[in-house]
Amino acid sequence: MSSRSPLQGVPAVSDPLRRLSRRRLLRHAMAGTGALLAAGPLSGCASPASASGASALSVWDLFQGGDGMLMDEMIDAVSKGDDGFDVDRTILDWGPSYYTKLAMSAAGGRASDVAAMHLSRLAGYAPGGLVDPVDLDLLAEFGVTEKDFTPAVWSRTRHEGTVYAVPLDVHPFIVFYDKKAAEKAGLLDSSGALAPMGSPEALLEAGKALAEATGQSGILFGHVTDTAQNWRLFAGLYAQTGADFDLPDGGPARIDVDAAVRVVTLMTRLFDGKTNPNNLDYNGALAAFTGGRGGMAMLGEWELPTLKESGIDLGAAPFPQVFDKPAVYTDSHSFVLPHQEDPDPARRREAHRYIAAVLKQSLTWASAGHIPAYQPVLAEPEYAALEPQSSYADAAKVAVLDPPNWFVGAGSNFQNRMCQPLQSALLGNTSPEKAVRQMVREADALLQQPNPVA
Amino acid sequence: MTTTAPLGAEERTDPATGPADGRRAVLRRIRPGNGFVFVLPFLLVFGLFMVWPIVQGLWMSFTDSSLALRDTGFVGFDNYTEAFGDPDVWSSLGNTLFFTAISSVPLVLVALAMALLVHSGLAGQWAWRLAFFAPYLLPVTVVTLIWTWLYQPELGLGNQLLDSFGMAPVGWLSDESVAMWSIAALTVWWTVGFNFLLYLAALQSLPTTFDEAAALDGAGAWRRLWSITLPQLRRTTGLVAMLQILASLKVFDQIYILTKGGPNGSTRPVLEYVYDVGFTGYRLGYASAVSYLFFALIIVVSLVQFRLFRRED
Repeated sequence: MSSRSPLQGVPAVSDPLRRLSRRRLLRHAMAGTGALLAAGPLSGCASPASASGASALSVWDLFQGGDGMLMDEMIDAVSKGDDGFDVDRTILDWGPSYYTKLAMSAAGGRASDVAAMHLSRLAGYAPGGLVDPVDLDLLAEFGVTEKDFTPAVWSRTRHEGTVYAVPLDVHPFIVFYDKKAAEKAGLLDSSGALAPMGSPEALLEAGKALAEATGQSGILFGHVTDTAQNWRLFAGLYAQTGADFDLPDGGPARIDVDAAVRVVTLMTRLFDGKTNPNNLDYNGALAAFTGGRGGMAMLGEWELPTLKESGIDLGAAPFPQVFDKPAVYTDSHSFVLPHQEDPDPARRREAHRYIAAVLKQSLTWASAGHIPAYQPVLAEPEYAALEPQSSYADAAKVAVLDPPNWFVGAGSNFQNRMCQPLQSALLGNTSPEKAVRQMVREADALLQQPNPVA
Repeated sequence: MTTTAPLGAEERTDPATGPADGRRAVLRRIRPGNGFVFVLPFLLVFGLFMVWPIVQGLWMSFTDSSLALRDTGFVGFDNYTEAFGDPDVWSSLGNTLFFTAISSVPLVLVALAMALLVHSGLAGQWAWRLAFFAPYLLPVTVVTLIWTWLYQPELGLGNQLLDSFGMAPVGWLSDESVAMWSIAALTVWWTVGFNFLLYLAALQSLPTTFDEAAALDGAGAWRRLWSITLPQLRRTTGLVAMLQILASLKVFDQIYILTKGGPNGSTRPVLEYVYDVGFTGYRLGYASAVSYLFFALIIVVSLVQFRLFRRED
């Protein structure tokens, strides 16, 4: 700008005072902006410490609603007393976005001290070093060892022999049933619990009998536009056939096509649109079951609090065994130590102590329907008294999780892509054979992608 | 640019030459260089959040950059080669184009019809305007929540209506050949209000003289609509169509919430594929390559439209 402008005579523009103030204003504005920009990251660093003290243990999880309140209760319980924890809890929306954020924070090396993770996702995090190994000696010092977990679940905490996660619960895909309808349909044993089925035909018969008993639908299952339900049902039944489902790096996927076709065929016969509707979405099935328009529903145990409120005479059981081998599709919420560039040993020690302390609060967690992974809790009489939770606790022993690979697990694209052909088959848009062929193709396509986390 | 000339001019100015020259000099002082300071904050933000990410994205498309790892390697055109051979890229691109075709046409025509109806002096104008524009104000989550229930297979209004006419239920969101149409219907209901507003504004600013003259000459309402109103709306139609096609190409949120791209990938738009690959699959490099291919397509579409638009003028 030309300060030696010859236009001194035009006050509106060149009054020196005004110009000075205008310029000063500008300069201040720029400085202010700069200060704001600079303060952003700084205050971001400072906030956890100033908000809850420098020693607060930062914890990330994805528990909302009822689960979130129970987790609050458990954290309150471990925060009491002289050696209670000072916990800075961050709750994030469950699903793909949670795992994106967790991976990013760990890749940045400044993650939280402890984070919750579905065990099925571990294979996407452990190989790339996004989670740090669990110190088993340290954990044992605080009273938690491998023996406290079922082998089916503990085996999934390892990657190349190292343990990376401590399971909090097991949450299987099970069946809920209306006790009155099931009794009318003759499906209960002498003790009033769901009798074993033992064959695909028995399951089909049960569906018909329940439909007759309720006068409407037999077995309800909501899968339309859902990104996981079909896969949960398929994976559990497929595991019951005893066939392997392996996803070796680089492909091709090892899937027993005949067994898979048998499973999908059973699914289409079960949900034939007559005795069991084939076109329900998740909420539709839930609403139909709680409204008494079906005798049984295939759901995750996490729906227990919702279903209890409905007032139906509720029974629950592990997913019925209809093929050769007992197996129940499951996932597990577990605790991990997200990767930190330069972990403070004292904080790490606290993190282990925290995990052990929260595990011992598992009875609270079980009240929502989850099966505690920490076995000593299952032996307590208080757990046996929890109905119907205790009636499906055995599911943890035959738990089957997703085949490990970086792209699989809860909230993953893999589950969504497996669900799509299965949905087409259930809706009658394609045959079971074609659906299975597409599933194999999708799995192969994912296996051929370069691994972005290792 | 022109710094030397005005400076020279200033130097030649004689302070004693009176107000006229002074004013001219004031005007002269508003040079490109002077305004720059005022535009600077905008340019900073624009550069930081628009230009830089665009450059960064282009660079990333040539790497195996991952959301979950720090190390990245240069892979040349590998991502682009992979994208060209990836059937999911082509199918999702096809879905996006299909959606654009089936949503843009009604979004322009329905908006025009609505605007003409309201402009024709219908009773209760404010109510019509509100009814046509109100859905546009709803956030996407609310819209999809409403329509999820309308499309619900058992309890939804859609199938209940069909049922009351004795017709078979439709898998609104579960039938591969129907789902995209269902989403287009939702989108038209939701966003037509904006185009309606543009048309209404254009209609209200048209000179009435031609219309009156034609009416005096005995032209009927249809004749006047076809020969006078619509030709005068040409520019608006061009604008609305261009904005609409670009908006439709960017479709993502309502589909992501409503169907997650299902059934069987039949509604997955290319932007969702980019999201899936980049954020749930961590493959940022590959996702960038796919989005750059889409970017190229949008540029081609815009250029074609620009040419058509110009010819109309």
